[in-house]
Amino acid sequence: MRLKNKWFIFLIFVLAFGLFLAACSGDSASEGDAEEPEEGSDTEEEEPASDEPQMGGTLTGAMDTAPAGVFNPIFYEEAYEANILDFTHESLLSQNDSLEFEPHLANDWEINDDQTEITLTLEEGVTWHDGESFTADDVVYTYKAMSSPGYVEAGGIRTEYVVRLLGYEEFNNGETDEFEGVVAEDDHTVTFKFAEPNVTILKDVNFPIIPEHIFGDVPIDEMTEHPATLNAGEVIGTGPFKFTEMLEREQYILEKNADYWKSEPYLDQIVWQVVDQSVMLGLLENGEIDFIGDPSGVPAPDFETVDALDHVEIIEQTDFGYQLMGFIMNHRPDSQVESGELNPDEWIPNEDMSNQQVRQAMAYAIDRQAIVDNLLHGHGSMINAPIAQQFWAYDEDAATQYEYDPEQAEALLDEAGYEDTNDDGYRETPDGEEWVVNLNYPTGNQLREDSAPIIADFLEQVGIQIDLRQPTEMTAFQENLTDNNEDWDLYLLGWSLGSGDPDPSALWGTEAAYNFSRWNNDDSEQLMAEAMQPPEAFEQEYRSEKYSEWQAEFSEDLPALLLYAQNKIYAFNERVNGVEPMPYSFNNDPELWWVSESEE
Amino acid sequence: MYKYIIRRILVFIPMLFALTVIVFGLAMAAPGDAISGNELADPNVDPEVYEQQREALGLNDPVPVQYWDWISSAAQGDFGNSLVYNGRSVAELIEERFANTLYLGLFSLGITILVGIPIGIYSARHPYSLFDYGATGFGFLGLAIPNFFFGLIAIYLLSIHLGWFPAQGTLSGPGQSGFNELSDRIHHMILPGITLGLAGTATYMRYMRSEVLDVLGSDYIRTARAKGMSDTNVLYKHTLRNALIPIITLMGFEIGVLLSGAVITEQVFQYPGIGTLFLNSVTNRDFPVVMAIALILGTLILIGNLIADILYSIIDPRIRYD
Repeated sequence: MRLKNKWFIFLIFVLAFGLFLAACSGDSASEGDAEEPEEGSDTEEEEPASDEPQMGGTLTGAMDTAPAGVFNPIFYEEAYEANILDFTHESLLSQNDSLEFEPHLANDWEINDDQTEITLTLEEGVTWHDGESFTADDVVYTYKAMSSPGYVEAGGIRTEYVVRLLGYEEFNNGETDEFEGVVAEDDHTVTFKFAEPNVTILKDVNFPIIPEHIFGDVPIDEMTEHPATLNAGEVIGTGPFKFTEMLEREQYILEKNADYWKSEPYLDQIVWQVVDQSVMLGLLENGEIDFIGDPSGVPAPDFETVDALDHVEIIEQTDFGYQLMGFIMNHRPDSQVESGELNPDEWIPNEDMSNQQVRQAMAYAIDRQAIVDNLLHGHGSMINAPIAQQFWAYDEDAATQYEYDPEQAEALLDEAGYEDTNDDGYRETPDGEEWVVNLNYPTGNQLREDSAPIIADFLEQVGIQIDLRQPTEMTAFQENLTDNNEDWDLYLLGWSLGSGDPDPSALWGTEAAYNFSRWNNDDSEQLMAEAMQPPEAFEQEYRSEKYSEWQAEFSEDLPALLLYAQNKIYAFNERVNGVEPMPYSFNNDPELWWVSESEE
Repeated sequence: MYKYIIRRILVFIPMLFALTVIVFGLAMAAPGDAISGNELADPNVDPEVYEQQREALGLNDPVPVQYWDWISSAAQGDFGNSLVYNGRSVAELIEERFANTLYLGLFSLGITILVGIPIGIYSARHPYSLFDYGATGFGFLGLAIPNFFFGLIAIYLLSIHLGWFPAQGTLSGPGQSGFNELSDRIHHMILPGITLGLAGTATYMRYMRSEVLDVLGSDYIRTARAKGMSDTNVLYKHTLRNALIPIITLMGFEIGVLLSGAVITEQVFQYPGIGTLFLNSVTNRDFPVVMAIALILGTLILIGNLIADILYSIIDPRIRYD
């Protein structure tokens, strides 16, 4: 017995030792050390702050969550991947700081009179990271891939860019192999054809292009598993930086594309480091990271701390999106919930919430400025119309302002017949019944969670009894919001908007799935339709006018009270130069970023 | 003994089967699915697209059908693709992180044993001494401090201000190899390892102390001393063996716990391991990943317990299995 035991222990020991050896024996022969003799730039002796951009250097950026790992513009879904793809891939156009479309990979374009066709001339001499030339075929291929049958099933969601193309349906159904939507006229000329006059034609042609010579023969359902989608060093774009190496979920390394067609990037390298939110500022302070950009930015409560750092600069700008408190105005009948259809004719009005005066009263009762000042520490703005403020279409003056005015709120409620008849401090319904309004909200956004009890408190102050429900996870919340909203009255929610076009119909159209308020307003419908109606809508001024009217209608009828739009706060080390964020992204023209090696 | 082991392993099968049924049922009972994601859908994407994806992924099928689909491929070793990490295979996702979790787990278990047990023994041999009180105080502190708090303090003091240790991640950069990589990895593991091992160290220390004290007071130890055996011999030959039995039970559980990863520690140190993956998969309703991890952890906990049972019989010959 003893002998056996010793044997056993010996065996365990041998195994453990073997494991140890196995762990150590990663080929120690190849000492491919990453350290290169850098510092080519500190030859500039006495000028500490030179204004001339200098070549060389590495920047380290921080993001708080690792990208999922799908580095393919037609399949990625998250802002974290965008932080890589923004540097590696490019679109035909780009948007400037007033959101107008500008030449990028295409240097010129011509649109026909009824806006069914656009012909773009591509920049010549552009090459992919692997040296192949970029041609019109790549553009055709990219749009063809997104139109092809099985694209959505394979996980793609960007059909928005292709559904309006000529022959999309037939090609997508597999009825034909002929793709008519995008045609290469010659190597550097490409024509997009649309089935109908297209108001958002420039937006639709503005999508990052992927290389045909890499993906051309890959079936669409294998593209997400293709090495050129997943692996650093194999992802090929035309952008100023190449994605060369990664330490999965920790570090993502972009190296400059010395042959970049615009100009050689100044920086040698940009390193994305995945850093927990709680230590991000500490690392910014001690210089281990150089910048904090999208999507997290610096949290508003930390603004002062970061601002106080001598070596850190801040850029603050409005974010694309807003938080809202929606009113459930109508419920879908059970049959529609079951079948998933949206037919406003059968909707059942939600008692009390379907009353416009009640909604307006609630808007007056909530001091949104106080929420912005205290919860967001002033780093946000109060908006009254659900269009991003950066757009030409946003019209602050058209909308009803709803300044904080509890007396007005009480007056409106009195007028609507909601009065406190039994002196319990809360208002009763016009029928004299107990009136309890419930407020539902999801977890996942700390500021929004914090705002819920504050909102409830404001409403109680004007005598509305609020049942503040337990917050639920977003997944569960959204399911409830969509299907089972029988006893829901108020909900909190946030939207991030696209920067391409201000058309709000996907969120506020009567039959839009995301119209969770189930707002059913004919005037609004008509205005939104008119704003997208060719040929008048080819004129931006015309659309602008219609959207002003729509914003007035929205804010008067008030399917939702817009609480605030948050600011994005970007921070970067003062040694970083040339950073000029666009309204929609921090990652703009990274080839022009450079570092000044200041006195250490 | 071998019969016993085989019998135990056979029992694993129905247990794991029951585990999959329960976890799958729970995963399906939770509202929402992988497509609704953890944040709200992108308003620029037509909801119809999401519906099409649901259909393609089989999320609209009845639950028993989905379970059958899952288990029939899992039985062949294919855990399918993640629903959230667009098309990436579950095996790959887990593999990527499992090694990290394993290194960190073993490292912190090492700290726990190497620090906790000797201190426990010393405390027991010199009870109510200054050292013993100090160790007791440390033990309570270690148990009382929440992991994330200790981790954050360690990061701020030791890495941000003093710069002794890296604050985040498992390596300082890709493309290293051999000894450089190993030492870099260990360097990165020290702070999370200590953070993760702190509570365990305190527990082991307290257990060891009370067990050794207990055994030292028993009759056979007195007999051994009476026949003139040296203190060292008494301690190492008779006391420790008996005192180790509860510690082994503890370790049996610990294996599962360590390998399941430490969500909070991993989060604070951005150490990509199984714990964070599991948590994210649960919130994202990524059930193929949830199932695979649950199955792996279930198996490991069962194996951990089996090993503990086998070790009993080695350490204590009175315990026999047949």
